[in-house]
Amino acid sequence: MMDQNFVGIDSGSTMCKTVLFRGNQVLDTLMSKTGWNPRLSAKQDSDLLLERHRLSRENIVFATTGYGRETIDFSDHVFTEIICHAFGGMHLVPGIQGIIDIGGQDSKVIKIINQKVADFLMNDKCAAGTGRFLSMACDKLGIELESIDEFVNLDEYSQINSMCAVFAESEIIGLLSLETDRSKIMAGVLQSIAQRIRQMIEKLGFSKELPLLMTGGLSRSQALMEAISVATGFNVITHRYAPFAGAIGACVCAHGRERQSP
Amino acid sequence: MKENQLPKNFESFADARKQGFLHIKALKDAGKNVVGTFCTYTPAEVIMATGAVCVGICSFSDETIPEAERVLPRNLCPLIKSSYGFALTEKCPYMYFSDLLVGETTCDGKKKMYELLGELKDTHVLQLPQTQTDEVSKEMWYKEVLRLKDRLEEKFGVVITDEDIKAAIKLKNEERIVLKELYELSKACPPPISGAEQLKVLYGSQFKFDYNVKLHELRDTVAKIKQDYEKGERPVSESAKRILITGCPLAGATEKVVTAIEESGGVVVAYENCIGAKTVERLVDENEEPYKAIADRYLQIGCSVMTPDTKRYELLTRLIDEFQVDGVVEMTLQACHTYAVETQSIRRLVQDRDVPFISVETDYSAADSAQLKNRLAAFIEMMA
Ligand code: SF4
Ligand code: SF4
Repeated sequence: MMDQNFVGIDSGSTMCKTVLFRGNQVLDTLMSKTGWNPRLSAKQDSDLLLERHRLSRENIVFATTGYGRETIDFSDHVFTEIICHAFGGMHLVPGIQGIIDIGGQDSKVIKIINQKVADFLMNDKCAAGTGRFLSMACDKLGIELESIDEFVNLDEYSQINSMCAVFAESEIIGLLSLETDRSKIMAGVLQSIAQRIRQMIEKLGFSKELPLLMTGGLSRSQALMEAISVATGFNVITHRYAPFAGAIGACVCAHGRERQSP
Repeated sequence: MKENQLPKNFESFADARKQGFLHIKALKDAGKNVVGTFCTYTPAEVIMATGAVCVGICSFSDETIPEAERVLPRNLCPLIKSSYGFALTEKCPYMYFSDLLVGETTCDGKKKMYELLGELKDTHVLQLPQTQTDEVSKEMWYKEVLRLKDRLEEKFGVVITDEDIKAAIKLKNEERIVLKELYELSKACPPPISGAEQLKVLYGSQFKFDYNVKLHELRDTVAKIKQDYEKGERPVSESAKRILITGCPLAGATEKVVTAIEESGGVVVAYENCIGAKTVERLVDENEEPYKAIADRYLQIGCSVMTPDTKRYELLTRLIDEFQVDGVVEMTLQACHTYAVETQSIRRLVQDRDVPFISVETDYSAADSAQLKNRLAAFIEMMA
């Protein structure tokens, strides 16, 4: 079992994250745009990853999660994102008490007690507080999602008041028409996302002394993490593999399941 | 989970609402009076004692909501919009054939909707107190039950005798006993029936109007389920997580919640909400003054329209223990403020007992089916 190779795929609404996992370790990772066909991108990415390590698809255990998971017909195990981000997060930072994941379609906060998911909250009803909201704002401001950190200055921000993404968009347009500094507007957008996350964190209740882990693609934005830290008063940390937490968690869960029923 | 083989009777209950459409017309043609009701607090015995048919009005489908929204605000509980919509469109035969509708001052939305409904149909509204244990409330509710009696007697030109009301109490109690017997079968581990099947019987049985036939069929169903289980049939997997559902009334469009749970490795063993245990538990005391006994029994029903809602907490904790529940799912309907606010207390109550809890908000559309499935599957996975 130690030598078993796992391929974990987190087929998200915008990005497809794939990892190769063996002996409880991440060997390699790959990220690409999901595109219009989640099954196709999952197949191509896993092929590519296996090729790099001269492995064939045989004898590989495929574990999938994310929005596209149901379409991936070669999965051996399928899990929801909640459980995957939780176990992926615990793998990366053992003993972590909670996880924040801001995905393309939703955002979630997961509470962990004794190595198990104790509770979670999910915002999937409304785009505010999700990655979609952030990319809409980037579009409007004419900046790349990847470069918000260089662009933004958190010290000065314009308040975005709308709780609804559609109205927030009008607010942004309004601010632009007043020639408000774009870096201020972007700071306001990050604030608004951080406030959404704060509400979920406060409902679940965590220990202030311990950190929270941010997973998912947006954990690469220091500015967003800082905005959340300031809004919540928590030390929000990340990990270089945090964008792959879902895919890693899928492997960890599959590993557990294979052990249970050989 | 694998497809469950249905014992014959489940289909009879699943069909009951539709079959009832024909029966109600026949009953009407034969000169019977029909009274439509909306809520678990309606004292059905008083209606039955007049010889009238007492029937729950359709309110679990989204088909009449667009019509209703021409009058009612969009941001209103779908149950209220649906009920009103059925009156407006005359699509619900029960509503259509009703001589009288009986509602209560439960939540604000319903209370105000009844004013508009009263313009379309003869509607009698009972003033339901919002507290349950104080003498003033008890006295008031007792008087409201008597006022309903007077209203019905006047409307239908009948006099309810002591025998009439006692007979109705007895019949309704018998129904409660057998329904309770049925859902308590799911205390077994694994349960002998799925939650979808339990719901079919609980919901469907209210549309069977001949009590003798209904009681007979229910007893048969119980016997058949027991028999199969004793023979060793196990339609539900032993590893299925045992779920209790609480919250707003659930049926029809919102059965999607049950489906999502049961497709994700869970099984619903108990329904605390209207349709389930809270409507059925507690009998009317047959040795007391009938109207007093009726008033007492109904006022003890838990619902978020009451403050504080201790009766809901009591029933919930008892069911969690008795049914060895692994997790509690609360379903609230969009824009239902009383349940949405009470979620916080329920969450605490359940989690303090170390039982996982999730609350999902939904409406009558199918738009959120995938999201519901995602959340509920995660909830069940987390118990593994
Ligand atoms: S939830 Fe409350 S108000 Fe609604 S039908 Fe049930 S008892 Fe009546
Ligand atoms: S579900 Fe809530 S808002 Fe809707 S009728 Fe019942 S109590 Fe009122």
